[in-house]
Amino acid sequence: MEVIDIRPALAPAISFACSAMVFLLGSNRFWRSFWMLSASTLKLAVVLSMLPSSLQGTVYVYDLIEFTPGIGLGFRADALGMFFAAVSSTLWLITTVYAIGYMGKSEHRVRFFGFFSLCVSTTVGIAFAGDLLTFFLFYEILTICTYPLVIHNETPDALKAGRKYLIYTLIGGAFILIGTVVVFDAAGTLSLGQPGILSHAAGVHTLGLIFALLITGFAVKAAIMPLHGWLPSAMVAPTPVSALLHAVAVVKAGAFGILRTVYNVFGVDLLADVGFTVPLKWVSAFTIIVASLVAIFQDDLKRRLAYSTISQLSYIALAAAMLTPLSAAAAIVHITNQAFAKITMFFAAGAIQRTTGKTNVHELAGIGYQMPWTMGAFTVASLSFVGFPLFAGFITKWYLSLGALESGEFWVLAIMIVSSMLNAAYFLPIVYLAFFKAPPGTTLRVAEARPTLLIPTLVCAAYVIALGTMAEVPGMPFSLAKAAVRFVFGM
Amino acid sequence: MVTSLIPPAAVFLPLLGAFAALPLGRISERARVIGLAAVAAATAALTLAVIPGVLAGTVYEAHLVRLTPEIWIHLRIDALGALFGATVSVLWLIALVYSEGYMRDGHRLGRYYPFFMLCLGWTLGVAYSGNLLTFLIFYELFSILTYPLIVHEETPEAIAAGTKYIIYILVGGSIVLIGVVFTFFLAGEQTFVAGGILDASADRTSLLLIFWCFVAGFGVKAALVPLHGWVPDAHPAAPAPFSAVLSGVMVAAGSFGITRVVFQVFGVDLLLELGVMPLLTAVAAFTVLFAAVLAVGQDDLKRRLAYSTISQMGYVALGIGLLGVDAVTGALVHISNHAFMKGTLFLCAGLFIKRLGIRRVSEMAGVARRMPVTTAAFALASLGMIGTPPLSGFISKWYLGLGALEAQQPLQLAVLLGGAMLAAVYLLPVVYSAFFKQPPPVTGTEDSGAREAPLSMLVPTVIAASLTIVLGLAAAVPGLPYSLARLATETFFR
Repeated sequence: MEVIDIRPALAPAISFACSAMVFLLGSNRFWRSFWMLSASTLKLAVVLSMLPSSLQGTVYVYDLIEFTPGIGLGFRADALGMFFAAVSSTLWLITTVYAIGYMGKSEHRVRFFGFFSLCVSTTVGIAFAGDLLTFFLFYEILTICTYPLVIHNETPDALKAGRKYLIYTLIGGAFILIGTVVVFDAAGTLSLGQPGILSHAAGVHTLGLIFALLITGFAVKAAIMPLHGWLPSAMVAPTPVSALLHAVAVVKAGAFGILRTVYNVFGVDLLADVGFTVPLKWVSAFTIIVASLVAIFQDDLKRRLAYSTISQLSYIALAAAMLTPLSAAAAIVHITNQAFAKITMFFAAGAIQRTTGKTNVHELAGIGYQMPWTMGAFTVASLSFVGFPLFAGFITKWYLSLGALESGEFWVLAIMIVSSMLNAAYFLPIVYLAFFKAPPGTTLRVAEARPTLLIPTLVCAAYVIALGTMAEVPGMPFSLAKAAVRFVFGM
Repeated sequence: MVTSLIPPAAVFLPLLGAFAALPLGRISERARVIGLAAVAAATAALTLAVIPGVLAGTVYEAHLVRLTPEIWIHLRIDALGALFGATVSVLWLIALVYSEGYMRDGHRLGRYYPFFMLCLGWTLGVAYSGNLLTFLIFYELFSILTYPLIVHEETPEAIAAGTKYIIYILVGGSIVLIGVVFTFFLAGEQTFVAGGILDASADRTSLLLIFWCFVAGFGVKAALVPLHGWVPDAHPAAPAPFSAVLSGVMVAAGSFGITRVVFQVFGVDLLLELGVMPLLTAVAAFTVLFAAVLAVGQDDLKRRLAYSTISQMGYVALGIGLLGVDAVTGALVHISNHAFMKGTLFLCAGLFIKRLGIRRVSEMAGVARRMPVTTAAFALASLGMIGTPPLSGFISKWYLGLGALEAQQPLQLAVLLGGAMLAAVYLLPVVYSAFFKQPPPVTGTEDSGAREAPLSMLVPTVIAASLTIVLGLAAAVPGLPYSLARLATETFFR
């Protein structure tokens, strides 16, 4: 049931207004924090207010402008969009608290928080985009707004990383634009409101071209190998930005774009017929394994986390490419599962850096005695990535395995097991160093991070456990994922 | 089926203890151990209290949270679970009391005790799991929470053993997960049901794959050769009270998993049709003999005992593989009997280390003069392990032997006897040199006065040893392991 309602457009507008307020009136620390916190709370409230009826199958739509017939800016809060919006709004609120604590008295804070809000505004725009053009528009604005955040420190490294980021993502964007045009030509519409707008009538070559263009374009932000190069370089950015890149917005926008392409542009039946997803499966599987192998050898903690993100994101692509209802549930729900676990890790990494100045894995010996709560949260996230039962990651693993059996692709099972082992191989040594390898001859005292850094970390870690133990509770992300799967597969 | 709070209470009570361990430790070490012992005693009381009901045919169960539509935490106490649960909690209580003396003045007790209690809770969760996923959850959790206890000493050997352990266990756990997912996919459900949930309508290759995934995955924990590599390293490295439970019940959790899968996921009929059991029996027989031969060559006492555990767990797998009523009864009784015998041996080995600094068999000469009670307990458990009547080990081996004959496999009977002979070869020389060899002349004065351990350690050791006699002499008393094992086996073969 479609209902015309302004809320899907209101959500991005709130963040946008917040950004404007920060730019205009943000030089005072108190007022800046006030605007940021009230806007993120308000937006979360707006998004969550749509949740109950969204679970019942209501879709809120709102057409803002129509440029020419059939092309315009339209918003639409379906289950999949609600899923993404709810995740990013929740994380925005938490990250805002963390960022206020993290940035402290550093320079250019107005610029930082202004663009930070803009990024989140566009992310919700992406989530609620009602058609491919609106999607593309927000997707590109996101690219641009992230640039000032990546180069925030203005060191040569940061500037270089920023340049690399722009080159990668702008080229990716160009692919998407061309793909969008071809879709419009082939289907006559750009709507994302149906389980597939393309059909065999377009011809297999056109379909192949569209798939290649859109998936390649989105794969840049989703950091699927070999298009991942920008992500490890972007580690020079401040930690809240890393969190934004890795969990809340940027890479998730790419993964979300892949989901939209598979489920709403092509539709699962058409893709199953033409078999385009086979190469996507192989590339994602390759990325899952190779990125994990690279991660093992990274000593810089944030770099290790970056390669882990690359590996984890390909779970989403792989699960989506398997085209079964159970694997679709895994693909969608992994957006949240990865987001919360990874943001916990980044928060922990940032808290360690701010509190002790340590950024390398080998320096972390005994840090668990100094910062037990922070490292406890890190441990929870690690176990989630390894796929331990009762943690968020297990839910993904379970559905991905069932999906693999459902489609008869046993090799996916093997990939998943190997990947879990590799995750253990690069995360558990950190836990080991922290808790079991106190440097000899020193007595370590508890010296935790300040509350604005610690509390968001703990909240996220607690949510990782909640995601793993209460997936069935209505209103948890999993229920939305199921609603989205029902729509996509016409169940 | 009776819905009851007992299963979750037994599982979560130790967890409360784990959380209480830190504040209690602030008061004093003694307060902590007394508090935790009270918790462990209450837990043991719960696990024992259900036994009369279970023997009368009641199954206690509780549905806890539902994780996803397919996954829910379901705890259930049937005869098999009651047997394992009671064994776990009683041995744990003994080891916990012993810890007070053994770990006194040790380092990082604030880490040791909470994890010790957590492991108790999760291991009881394994015992009381009502479905495969619940089993897997508790199994994985207790496996990983064991790590801090294995590396507790933080010596290089302990760290290396811990790393080896975690690799073995993670790989094993993943293989079990494949089995669980595959079973769920084929059967559409995962509750343990006597007679099995899989049936022959599924394709044979898949069924074989599932079976070997489970056997290999649980086999890592149950130390089936060649998956046993972590056992001989982890046991000597861990503190003695933890070695006792590690060897006594945590390794057995793997055998317990194999039992659940064989009888309550596959079922006897399906396995006979698949014809996989002869191979499992062969692996088990090889494990029995191979590990026993290796045990003979070990000079480190705890390492020798670790190989003995591998060999004894082979007995359990062997009994299950024979698929006969008597053999399976023997196997299940042996899980419990072995727990207390091996527990005793490790507790004694710990006392030798603690009081005399003796780790090696070659240093044992004349130890009995200084620690007669400890050595006697060690001798008693050794005799039990060999299968001397009327000790508990005899009961399990008697039924295993009967089962081998019943299955018309005299060769397996020979394996059983061979294992027992080898047990005599690797255990009796220790006892012999302790009692009858002359101690080396005392070179220094530092250890000449060392005598028996204080009662806080000696009493738990003696209690564990006396259980070896009780479980042998009174084997037929209802409520002791034999009655529960018999009841469980009868449901499997109904």
